[in-house]
Parts: sequence; structure tokens; C-alpha cells
Amino acid sequence: MNLLLAAADSTDKLHALQSQFGIEGKYLLMQIISFSILAFVLYRFFFKPVLVTVEERNQKISDGLRHAEEMQAKLAIAQQESAQVVKSAQVEASKIVEDARKTAKEFLDRQMQDATQRASDALVKAQHAIELEHRKMLAEARTEIARLVVVTAERVLAKQLSESDRAAYNQAAACELTVV
Amino acid sequence: MAAHHKKAQQLARQLFKLSLVNGTVSAGQVAGALAYVEKHRPANPVLVLKNYQRLIARELAKSRALVDHAGPVAESILASIAGAFSQKYKRIITVSARHDARLIAGLRIRIGDDVYESSIASQLATLSAV
Repeated sequence: MNLLLAAADSTDKLHALQSQFGIEGKYLLMQIISFSILAFVLYRFFFKPVLVTVEERNQKISDGLRHAEEMQAKLAIAQQESAQVVKSAQVEASKIVEDARKTAKEFLDRQMQDATQRASDALVKAQHAIELEHRKMLAEARTEIARLVVVTAERVLAKQLSESDRAAYNQAAACELTVV
Repeated sequence: MAAHHKKAQQLARQLFKLSLVNGTVSAGQVAGALAYVEKHRPANPVLVLKNYQRLIARELAKSRALVDHAGPVAESILASIAGAFSQKYKRIITVSARHDARLIAGLRIRIGDDVYESSIASQLATLSAV
């Protein structure tokens, strides 16, 4: 009973309050309808395009970020490849330098061998020439000695041979020649 | 000119062949050849006679042995040389001796273009050449 009395009391108070603040139900309903129409128009012609634009921009930003990530990955790959190329070039350069050193060493060795061979040949030729000169000198000395011996023998024989010796030699020569 | 020389040489060669009797030069045949030249007077008679003389001299040299010697040589040795070479060349070889002191001792015999030598000088020359 008390509750009913209290509810009736509050309803009275609400009516009193509505009348006191000038709130009319029909006006309130009209305002709600007009606000709904305004909200619909705003949503349809203002918020929706803005949301679409924001969505496109978000898509573009995400595409750009993805592109940047791809570019970064590609850059990393390119850096890796360039590092690989540089490493290969360094290895190749090292190989070339090593080959050049090896070739230079071989050339130097060959030059030294050639020089040694030439020196050896020159030495052999010089020894041969000395030997030939020595033999020539000996032959000339032998010839000169023989000539001197023959000249001396001729002079000695021309002086020492007697007529009888010559006659005997002539007879022997005649025998020799007539036998021929 | 060359044809005249060739004809003169041919005639001299024919006369020379007619001058030989048994392979030796005959004085009578030579006189006959000279008489022929004198009588018939061939072209270039001087050239013919020069060639004829050269051929006769060469043939006579083949029959003459020139013996160079140093020291005395007995006549018997010269005779033996003449006999031996006459037998060797199958014609009569006459010997003429000539002294040559350069031989020191020994003999050098020349018959035509052939030379035979046995002397101390030649042996020493051989020795010095070796």
C-alpha cells in the first residue's frame, strides 16, 4: 500500500517536473525525428565518404609500408649480392695477383736459367776457342820446328855428305827408281 | 780467226801423225812434212809450223829422260835408267844428266810430264810437310 502510494506520489512529481520545465511529449518526439533525419543525412553524405577516404588512405599507407618492407628486403638481398660480388671480386683479384706473382716468378726463373745457360755456352765456347787456339799454336810450333829441323838437316847433310856418300845414294836411288 | 786456228791445228796434227814411224819421230818423215809445207804453202803456215813444232817437241820430250842429280852419277847408272824406262814406256828413251845441288843427294828423272824422284831434298820436304 505504501509502495503504491509512493508510486503515485512520484508520478505526480514527474508531471509536476515536466510542467515546470516546459517538456511536451509531442515536441520531444519531433525533435527526436528531426535529429534522426540529421544523423542519417550526416552519416550518408559526410561520415561515409570520409570513412571511405580514410580507409583508402589506410590502404595506401599499408601498401606503402609493405612496399617499403619489400624494398628493404630487396635492398638487403642486393647488399648481400653486392657483398657476394665484392667477395668474389676480391677472391678473383687475389687469384689474379697470385697468378701474376707466379708468372713473374716463373719468368724470372726462366730468365735466370737462360742467362745461366748463355753464360755456360759462352764459357764452353771460350774454352773451345782457347783449346783451338792452343792446338793451332802447337801445330804452328810443330810445323816451325819441323821446318827448322829440315833446314838444319839440309845444311848439315849438304856439308857433311862426301862425294862417295852421294854416289852411293845416287846408285840406291837409281835402283829404286828403275824398279818403279 | 778461230776457224783458221782450228784448220792450222788440224793440219799440224796430221803432219805430226805422218812424222811418226813405229811410235817414234822419224827425221826423214819430219823433213818430208816440212817440204810439204814449203811446197804447198797452206793458209797460216807460221801457225801450222808452230803447232807442228810443239807436237814434235812434246813427243821428243816423251822419249828423253832428264836426270837431275847431286853428286857423281856413273854412266852405267844412266844406262840402266835408260834401259829401264825404255822398257817401261815401250820406246827408246835417251838420257841426259844435269847437276842440281839442291837435291843434296839422289836423282830426279823427268820424262815428258812424268817426274820420278828419290832424293834427300824430297824426303826432307815430305818430312816437313807431315
